Amino acid sequence: MKYSQMTRRATLQALMAGAAVGALPGKVFAQTVNLRWWSPQGSPEQLAAYAYQIEAFHALHPDIRVTFEMTSDEGYAPQLAAAFSSGQVPDIVTHLPSFAVQSYYANGLIEPFDDVIAAIGADDFYPGANDVFRAADGQYCGTGIGNSAANMLWMRRDLMEQANIDKIPETWDELRTACAAMQTRGTFGAPLPFGRNTMTSLIFTGFIHGAGGHVFTPDLEVDIDNDGTRAALEFYREMREFCPPGATNYSWGESLTAFVSGATATGIYTGRVLVNAVLQNPAIAEHITCATYPRLSTDIAPWTFNDFPSVFIPAQSRNKDAAKLFAAFLFDPEGYIRQLHAAPGHVLPVLQSINNDPRYQDNDIIRAYSDEVELMAQAAAGGFNLGYESAEHQSNEKAGEVINAGPIADLVQRVVLNGDNVDAALSDTSRAIAEIVSG
Amino acid sequence: MSRPNTATPLERRYAMLGVILIAPTILVFCAVIVYPLFSAIYLSLFQIFTPTLQGSFVGLENYQRLFQRSEFWISLRNTLVWTIGTLTLQILLGVAMALVLHQNLWFRSLARSLILFPYFVSTVVAVLVWRWLFNDLYGILNHLMISVGLIDWPLDFLGSSPNAMISVILVGAWKYFPFVVIAVLARLQTIPEPLYEAAKIDGAGPIARFFDITLPQLREVLVVIILLRAIWDFKEFDLIFLLTGGGPLITTQTLPLLVYKEAFALNQMGMASAYAVVMMAIMLVFMVVYVLKTRNKDESR
Repeated sequence: MKYSQMTRRATLQALMAGAAVGALPGKVFAQTVNLRWWSPQGSPEQLAAYAYQIEAFHALHPDIRVTFEMTSDEGYAPQLAAAFSSGQVPDIVTHLPSFAVQSYYANGLIEPFDDVIAAIGADDFYPGANDVFRAADGQYCGTGIGNSAANMLWMRRDLMEQANIDKIPETWDELRTACAAMQTRGTFGAPLPFGRNTMTSLIFTGFIHGAGGHVFTPDLEVDIDNDGTRAALEFYREMREFCPPGATNYSWGESLTAFVSGATATGIYTGRVLVNAVLQNPAIAEHITCATYPRLSTDIAPWTFNDFPSVFIPAQSRNKDAAKLFAAFLFDPEGYIRQLHAAPGHVLPVLQSINNDPRYQDNDIIRAYSDEVELMAQAAAGGFNLGYESAEHQSNEKAGEVINAGPIADLVQRVVLNGDNVDAALSDTSRAIAEIVSG
Repeated sequence: MSRPNTATPLERRYAMLGVILIAPTILVFCAVIVYPLFSAIYLSLFQIFTPTLQGSFVGLENYQRLFQRSEFWISLRNTLVWTIGTLTLQILLGVAMALVLHQNLWFRSLARSLILFPYFVSTVVAVLVWRWLFNDLYGILNHLMISVGLIDWPLDFLGSSPNAMISVILVGAWKYFPFVVIAVLARLQTIPEPLYEAAKIDGAGPIARFFDITLPQLREVLVVIILLRAIWDFKEFDLIFLLTGGGPLITTQTLPLLVYKEAFALNQMGMASAYAVVMMAIMLVFMVVYVLKTRNKDESR
């Protein structure tokens, strides 16, 4: 028979020869470096900007290839935990909140970033822009790839006019009155999140600060059981009637869509609202504007939630030098401006030279909404998050775990949706956060 | 007293050949079953930070804390409610649909193919479709119910209790009932027709024929289906996680979601392993029943 010519010995020899040949390319192509880049930001426009940056970088460094892989705001923590524990880490990660970066750095999982910041130009960053990334050892664990003002109040002037509202609400009382006046059949007042997710935790933290409260003391003792939190819970409960029924399950996407689609009269989100409204619902685009989110009283300063979208390099990366080259290249004006223009107003520049660059200002949305973009830039520059609650607070490396485990979202759900006793719920939440902090 | 070795060299060589032949299976079994099993038990005795896998030995402390936590008992109760609820619906729907598809219908072949669609479609896609259907602002379900005057205000399917658990159970039943249809339909086709003819001659109506002939004939296959599906539903993760994330509060948080939360949100791999080991122990009960049932069946033959 024809196939009998292939003996077992011949087959084994062929297999061994194949294996030997297969081992060769590893050495031959060892010169080429493949970088894996992770980010939770991946709208089609952003992906196009990333593709441009990757190609431009490859043209400068033909021996380095970059592959973009998308993660998500809700999913990055488990994905990175699995990556770190398996050693199969991405070489560069962007757009994660600063508190996540601090947490990873504190556990030795991230490479110091000082040399990359120096390569970008430390003086070009806005003053204090990198403070949030300064770790306990004095080194930087990453840097910001942008700023974001995530809890801006978005309003529609046409609806305000119809409801005879002559000024944008600055206090909770004014916001409640405005929502009541603008709520009609088919249009709700606000898309506040009540879901068991990170958005609820992050946004409600802003409400706590909007009432002069805090989650941690400046020296990081758990202190969520305070008058500010109680006032915030009370207001959040009152706002429930102005939110869509499904807000009990809302996260970032649903909240954004609710405002952009016209289902709610106000919104709470970053500047992504602008591009989405222009592209998806032009009818409302010309009427929208934004302000810092109202607070309990005007005596309390606005507290803007900035997650300080970051860039960092995992310590286990086998291509740290190439990753650092690419990290610095991400701030190259041509590509960086394209990236910022992919979602104008959503990710704001951290470099002064970029903000002043005519090429950055030369964008239809940034021109049309220059006041709003400027306001967001200012608000974000003075913004905070749970890892950096105020200028007096120490950096909180446990903030990421507190957000991901969700005790703050649970508190909202218990008090607002379940009608639980506030004292009991706050006591349980304090205990839950303390347990997370103590590990 | 040891028995004298009376095996011939040829028998010993055959015995050795047997060991060599079975060795790959044993190795694969050890790699994919035994190692993860003992690894989980081992990890559950430590306090471990997930990203670094560094930790310290804590003995049985994880188990002690686990049983003291109300979250564990609530999650266990949710798991049982979900498993029993969705399994019951799957069986009822599956048997009913199998009986319909067993009839001589002109579109039978097409219907038998289409009925498998929910089972084959990816869970992520199924969840996206159902989330869209359930949406309070644009969902067709709320739109239809408001249109016909059933409700005045959109229903919050996934964000309030007990709606969320009911919705999850319904979607689970929709997704997995085709498995019951396939298995029951296969068994229906092997029930001897003379049994029905004799029953008809004796004056038995359709309902009597179902309870006196069909159901007893289906009993064995139903026991196997129930046990297998109970095991699979008990450890269901993706469908529930994607639909509700365990919320509102923890009213739809089942044990697999709790394991995930411990391992990846709280980064406590040791505690997560302890939960997983307890889950495994509970599932072992189902396994033992399944093994006993199938062994009894084999022995009766």
